[in-house]
This record gives sequence, C-alpha cells and structure tokens, in this order.
Amino acid sequence: MFFHIILERNMQLHPRHFGPRLRDKLVSKLMKDVEGTCSGRHGFVVAIMGIEHVGKGLIRDGTGFVTFPVKYKCVVFRPFKGEILEAVVTMVNKMGFFAEAGPVQVFVSNHLIPDDMEFQSADTPNYTTSDNSVKIQKDSEVRLKIIGTRVDATEIFCIGTIKDDFLGVISDPGAAS
Amino acid sequence: MGVLLFKCFQHATVQCSDKVPLRGKDDDSTKSKKGRKVQFNDEESPANFSSKSGEKGAPLKGGKGSARKEPAKYELNVQSELPQNSQCVMDCEAADILQGIQEQMVFLSRDPTIKIPVSFDKGLLYAKTGGRYSNPKTVRQALEGLKKYGVSDAEICVIANSCPENAEEAFALVPSLKAKKNKIHEPLEEIISQLVASKLPTENHEE
Repeated sequence: MFFHIILERNMQLHPRHFGPRLRDKLVSKLMKDVEGTCSGRHGFVVAIMGIEHVGKGLIRDGTGFVTFPVKYKCVVFRPFKGEILEAVVTMVNKMGFFAEAGPVQVFVSNHLIPDDMEFQSADTPNYTTSDNSVKIQKDSEVRLKIIGTRVDATEIFCIGTIKDDFLGVISDPGAAS
Repeated sequence: MGVLLFKCFQHATVQCSDKVPLRGKDDDSTKSKKGRKVQFNDEESPANFSSKSGEKGAPLKGGKGSARKEPAKYELNVQSELPQNSQCVMDCEAADILQGIQEQMVFLSRDPTIKIPVSFDKGLLYAKTGGRYSNPKTVRQALEGLKKYGVSDAEICVIANSCPENAEEAFALVPSLKAKKNKIHEPLEEIISQLVASKLPTENHEE
C-alpha cells in the first residue's frame, strides 16, 4: 500500500550552487537522488511531497562540499505480507505467473493457483478452469494476497497467492473480444 | 536369499530418501511437503523482520493440510513493520496526491536533468486503477468510524483498496478483522454498503 513518511537525508552540495537559489538546487537534487529508489525498509519512493526542514550546512574538510541534513515528506509504496493487491499479469508459464502491482513484481506459483485451474501452453500460455469459465493470461487483472516479500537493492519481489476466498481474476482481456 | 538382499536394499534406499526430505517426492508425501514448506518460509524470513518468528514453526507442526487453508498465517502485520512517523494512504487518496504532483512536474520538468522515474508512472497508474471510489474524503470519513472498534489504519486501507462488496468479503480478505467480528460486523456492513454506492462505474466490471 501507499503511505506518507518523513525521511531524512544528508545532501552534499557543491559551493558553486550557493546563492539565492540554493534551496531550489537542494530540492531538485533531492528529487533526482531519491525518487524512484527502493529500500527494503520503506519500499519505493514514488514522489516527494515537500521539504519539511533543511538543517544547517556543514563544510566537509578537504573537499569544500557542504552537507545539509534535509527532512522531507514523501509518498512510498511498499507491499506487506497479508495485503490484498490488484495486479496485472505480465507473464504466464508452467511454474506459475508473474504480475505487476504498481512498481512491484509478484510471482504466483502454480501451487498457489486454485487446483481446478490447469496450465495450457497455447499461443498465449494461460491457466484455465476445466469449464473454460475463468482464464488467466497476459494482461489479465487479478486480485491476490501477498504471502512473502524479498527485497533487493533496486526492487521488491513478492510471492502471492490466489488460492483463497475472493481472490482471483477480476477482468480478463480475452473475455471482452 | 536374493529376495532378502533385495528387501535390505529397498530398506536402505527408503532410509536414504528419508534423510533427504526434499528429494523424497514419492516416499512420503507429508514429509516432502513439510520439507518444501520449511524451505519456503526460510526464503521469506530475511524480509520478515517482525516478531513473527515464534509463530513460524507452529502452523507447520500442526495439521499440514489445514495449514495451507488457514489464512491466519498471512495475517496483515503492518503496524510492526511500518516505520515510525508514517501514515497509511488509501489508493484513491494516493491517486489524487500523485495526480497533483504530476501536474506540478510539468513545470519542474523544464529542468532537463529531472526526469520522472518509472516507479512514479507505475505507482500513479496503479493508484488510479485501484482507487475506484469517487470521493476519497468520504471513504476516509466512513472507514474512520471503525477505528473506535480497534481497527488499525492499515486494515482500513486494505479494506478501502480492495473495495469489498459486503462485510463477508472484507472478513475473508482481512482475516485479522475476524477477531473483532462480533463488534464490527454490523457497522462494517453498513459502511460497506455506503461505499458500494459511491463506487465509480468501471467499464471492466460491466463487461
């Protein structure tokens, strides 16, 4: 889910930026450095909403760079265990399928797909029920539950399940055509 | 003699496969299942830094068949994992916020060194598709009423994000609510019926 959080970061600024536009420079550097990054504890920093506080700068010995402690408010996205997400299927294979919920990748293993859904290796690989009423293929929208997360330096990877009540396909691109 | 030797050999192989439970697919299905489960839980443990470690062993030793069906294992435990000074945001609220930021970005992007990261676009798209209520403020107000029954912020967000049709669905999706089922069933049912009325019409669901 999304949440607001106040984070702190030490920003280093070259003396050539010192002047009336110092604050602007700090903000744009912060956006460049932080937006789109991912950390295990906080998740994806989706956007910075504003600067809370800029502390006093400290000149670094030797380099002349100045370090400013900056407190900023941002919107982050992080999946939690037990959370319900709506994801778009990106790839289907016999091991299960991959889906994307916002910036997060989720894998649903075939053990966590209802038993009555079978893998079909057609042109577009899919999981289908025996009566053909429900189909999971690329671009299908599914509602899933996160059961585990693994965090990388740059991305978060989740394991999900659709083997529970009220989980599964929400919309199927094939059904419309 | 030959038969005896064969039996001995068979016994030995079974013992051998017992020692390697991950491989023993056809010797004892419960054993192999257990092995797999443990491995899977280990895999997720590094990210799971909450105090759930005590709970981890318990459902495995209980009924193996029921452990999978019981969703309690995957209960939402946001409060302990959520960093301090943070606040959960519902998808529909996030969609509004991000939309606003995107409009500002147009001005900011005159600076060519700033480019909008991929995760922003993906986040916005996700929030937009997820946020199905017309007015986030009324949703927040309505669900805020559940707080006095001890429903946490995170639970409220999950309810809002999954747009359940009735209270039963909400209980199934957020199993941690079941503990308070007696108290919150009625107010929840009422709130959800209110929310269903304020849902945006979505083409996907009409089809």
